[in-house]
Amino acid sequence: MNPSASQVRSGCWHCGDSIPAGVEIRASIGGTERAMCCHGCQTVATLIDQAGLNRYYEFRDALPERPELGQVAIEDYQAWDRPAVREHYAKADCDNLYSLSLVLENVHCAACAWLIHRFVGGLPGIAEIRVDVSDGRLHLRFNPERTRLSQIAARLASLGYRPHLDSPLAGTARNQTERRQMLKYIVVAGLGMMQVMSYALAKYIGAWQGIEPETERFFLLISMVVAVPVCLYSGQLFYKSAWRTLIQGRIGMDVPVAAAMLLALFSSVFITLFGSGPVYFDSVVMFIFFLLLGRYAVLVARQNAGQLHSALARSLPVQTRRLGADGPETVSLIELAAGEQVLVSAGETVPADGRIVAGSVMVDESLLSGESIPRRRVIDEQVMAGSLVRDGQMTLQIEELGQSTALAGIVRMLDQARTYKPRMALMADRLAAWFVAFVLTGATVAGLVWWQIDPAMALPVVLAVLVVSCPCALALGTPVALAAAARGFARLGVLISRPDALEKLPRITHVVLDKTGTLTQPEMRIEEIRPVAGFDPDRARRLAGRLERVSRHPVASAFARFDDGGQVEEAEAVTAAGVCGRIDGVGYRLGKPAFTAELADAELSEPGPGQWVALGDDSGVLAWFRIDSPLRQGARTLMEGLEGSGMEIWLASGDRRANVQRVAQELGINHVRAECTPADKLALVRQLQAEGGRVAMIGDGINDAPVLAGADVSMALAEGADIARTQAELVVTGKGLGRISTAFALAPKVRRVVRQNLALSFSYNATALPFAAAGFVPPWLAAIGMSASSLVVVLNAHRLGRSVVVKRETEDGRGQTNNPAEPASSPSPVN
Amino acid sequence: MNIIYVLIPLSLILMVLAIGFFFWAVKNDQFDDLDTPALDVLDDDEPASPEDTEQPDR
Repeated sequence: MNPSASQVRSGCWHCGDSIPAGVEIRASIGGTERAMCCHGCQTVATLIDQAGLNRYYEFRDALPERPELGQVAIEDYQAWDRPAVREHYAKADCDNLYSLSLVLENVHCAACAWLIHRFVGGLPGIAEIRVDVSDGRLHLRFNPERTRLSQIAARLASLGYRPHLDSPLAGTARNQTERRQMLKYIVVAGLGMMQVMSYALAKYIGAWQGIEPETERFFLLISMVVAVPVCLYSGQLFYKSAWRTLIQGRIGMDVPVAAAMLLALFSSVFITLFGSGPVYFDSVVMFIFFLLLGRYAVLVARQNAGQLHSALARSLPVQTRRLGADGPETVSLIELAAGEQVLVSAGETVPADGRIVAGSVMVDESLLSGESIPRRRVIDEQVMAGSLVRDGQMTLQIEELGQSTALAGIVRMLDQARTYKPRMALMADRLAAWFVAFVLTGATVAGLVWWQIDPAMALPVVLAVLVVSCPCALALGTPVALAAAARGFARLGVLISRPDALEKLPRITHVVLDKTGTLTQPEMRIEEIRPVAGFDPDRARRLAGRLERVSRHPVASAFARFDDGGQVEEAEAVTAAGVCGRIDGVGYRLGKPAFTAELADAELSEPGPGQWVALGDDSGVLAWFRIDSPLRQGARTLMEGLEGSGMEIWLASGDRRANVQRVAQELGINHVRAECTPADKLALVRQLQAEGGRVAMIGDGINDAPVLAGADVSMALAEGADIARTQAELVVTGKGLGRISTAFALAPKVRRVVRQNLALSFSYNATALPFAAAGFVPPWLAAIGMSASSLVVVLNAHRLGRSVVVKRETEDGRGQTNNPAEPASSPSPVN
Repeated sequence: MNIIYVLIPLSLILMVLAIGFFFWAVKNDQFDDLDTPALDVLDDDEPASPEDTEQPDR
C-alpha cells in the first residue's frame, strides 16, 4: 500500500479536512473534479493546477493547513521594496543580486519546497531559490530590478506560505554549524572505518592463508595511522561531552562511551608500538561511526522541533503607514521609531505599543488576552502591538517598539516557561547516571577479576563490557520510535514538533482547554431568535441583516448572510450600542436592549442568559437575537472521548465569566476558570502539576503560549496565533477538533512501540553484559552486537510510521467510527 | 605483494582528498538541504501532462 498522503482522500482534496455537510465546492485538478472543503482550498488548489504543478499532491507526505480565503495583493508587501528593508535584511553581491532569507509559514514537507521552487523560481531575475524544510526558511538570491520582493512575497502568500522577514539570529546559524560539524565527523569516521576495516580484513584472511610478518606489521601500522586521527577528530563530540559532565561532578551517558573509545585506542597504540596482542582499531572506528549516525538522527529531530525565533515577527504586521510631513507613507516596521505616529485602520494589526492620539477603534485583543469581544478604545487609551483593529481608524503615537512591547514580554515569559522541565526529563537523566555508574563498576570489577585469572584477557574483557553495554539502543529506542510516529501523524494532519509529547500523551490526567478560538469558532452566529408574537422571524433576520451592513462590529458578522441588499436610509452605527436606520419609512434600532428601548421609551431586559441583541421600532421590541460564537466541529466528540478515558477537563479562558460558563455548561465541563490572565492559566497548570497531574493544554492564542510552554503536553490549532503554534508540541491542522481525538486515540500505540524498544534494548544489554564479562565476547563482536541492537530498534520504530497511516485509512473506510478502544484492524506492530 | 606498499599509501592520499572535497562541499552549502533534491529528480523540465500524473505505475 502506498502510504503517501495523496492516497488518503476521504475529505478535501487539498487539506484533507472533512467536508462540512451541504458544501459543494469543486476544483478541477489535472482534469479531474475534486471535492474541496472551502473556497480557500479551492483557490490554492486551482492556482497549483493552473501552474501545472499538481504533482505536488503526489509528492507530499504532510497535509497542509487550510488556507485563508482572501486575495493577496502585491500592495500588502509593498514596504518590502523599500531600500531600508533591503539594507537591513538583504546582502548585495557584485552582480547586483541580493540575498535574503524569509521565514515561511506552513512548510511541512519536501513537496512544499518543490512547489515553492517551481512556483516562485520561475519569476524573472531569480538567480537562486532554496527552501529549507526543517526550519521553513526560504533562501533567495534575486535581482530586485527584474522582480520586486513584494511580487515574490505576494506569490508565496497566495499559495498559503505567508512569508515573514527574517532577522538574522544566532540560533539558526548555530544550528547550521552544529549540523555541518556532525556531518564532517560522520564522513571522516565512515571513510576511516572503511579503510581500517579493509586492513583488518586483510589481517583476518592472512591468519587463514598465511601472511608475512612484515606485511602484517605494515597493516597494523597503517591501521594506526588512519585510526588515531580519525578517532581523535570524529570522537571529539563524545570526549567533550564526557569531560563536561565530569567537571560538573556528574556521570553522563557519554562517560563510558568516551572511556571505551580512548581506552581501546590508546591501548591499541601501545600494543602496536611496544608490545604484542590484539588491537581494536577497527572496532573503535566502527563504534564511533555508528554512534555518530544515531546522534545525528537525534540532532536533526531536535532542530526540527518548533523554534521560537521569529515568533515575534510573525505576530506583527508586514508594514504600516507612518504619518510624515506630507501625509501617510507605507513603511516597514524597522523604519519606525518611538514618538512617531502611525495610521492604523480596520483589518490591520497594530504594529507597536502606543497611545491613541486621534480616532477611535474597536480592537480585538483575543490573541493577546483571550477576551472574545473586541473593545472600544478612544483617545489617550493604550493599544498593544499584535492586536487587530476590527473597526474604525486611529492615529497611534508609538511608545514601545519591538522587544519592549507587551507582546515581546509574553514571548519572553514563554521562553522561561520552556526552561521549566517537568519531572520526566529529570528522571531519565538520573536513570542514565545510575546505568552508567553500574556499567563502569561492572567493567572495573570484571577487569580486576580477569587480571587475577589471566592478565592478557583483562583489557579485551573491559573493552567488551564497555562497548557491549553501550546504552545506544536504550538511548536510541525512544527518539527513533517517536520520530517515526511523528511522520505518521503528519500524514493525518497532526504536526508534531517535539516528538516526546507522543510518549507523554497517554499518561495525561488533566486537560486544560482554552475557550475563545479553541472550543469556539472565531466567527459569530445567531443561535436563537425570539420574535414577538406575530412577527415573522425571517423578516426580523432580513431587517437585522440590512441594518448591520454599516457596522463592523464582530456581532455584525452573524447577520451578514441575511442581508438581502435592500435599501436602508439614515443608517448609522452607534459606538458601544448598536445600529439604527430607516427601512421603508420605519425607523429601526438593533443593538443593546437599552439602546433599542430608547426608541420606544420603554424598559427592556434580556430574555435569558447569553448575549442578546434587540431589534425594535418606536412601538417596542420586535425580535431578540442570541449571538454566540458556535462550537467548533468535533468539540463534543473530543469531550466525550476525553471523559471516556477518565481525564479531568478544565476550561480556562480569559473571557468573561458568563460566556465561559455557558460554553462549559453546553459541553458538561465542571472545572471552570474565567477571566484568566496568561499568568493565571500558567499558575493553574502548575497547581495541577503540583498535585501530581499530568496536564495537556489545548489553546490557540498568544495568551495561551506561556501555558502551552508550561504544560506537559501542548496542542495548538493551526488557525491560531503563530506564537502558540511554535510553542505547541502538537499542531492540529484543519478547522475541527476531531484530529485531537485521533491523536489521543493513537498515542497508546506509540507508547507500546516505545516500550517494546526499551524492552528489546534492555534485554540485549542484560544478556550481553554477563557474556562480555565472562570473556566470551571479543570487542569486535561487541561492536557488531551494539550496532545490531540499535538497528533492530530502528526497524521496529519504522513500522510505527506506516501503521499509523494504515489505521487512518481503515478508519475512513468504516466511516469515521471514532472508537479509541477498538484495536486497529490493520496489521499492528504490537504482539 | 610489494605493490601494496605503494597502493595503500596512495589510497590514503585519495581518502584525504575525498575528505577535503567533502569538507569543501559542506562549506558550500551542498549538504544543507537533504530533502528537496530527492524530488527534483522526479521532475521533468516541462510540467507533467495530466495523463501522466493520473497513471502512476504501480
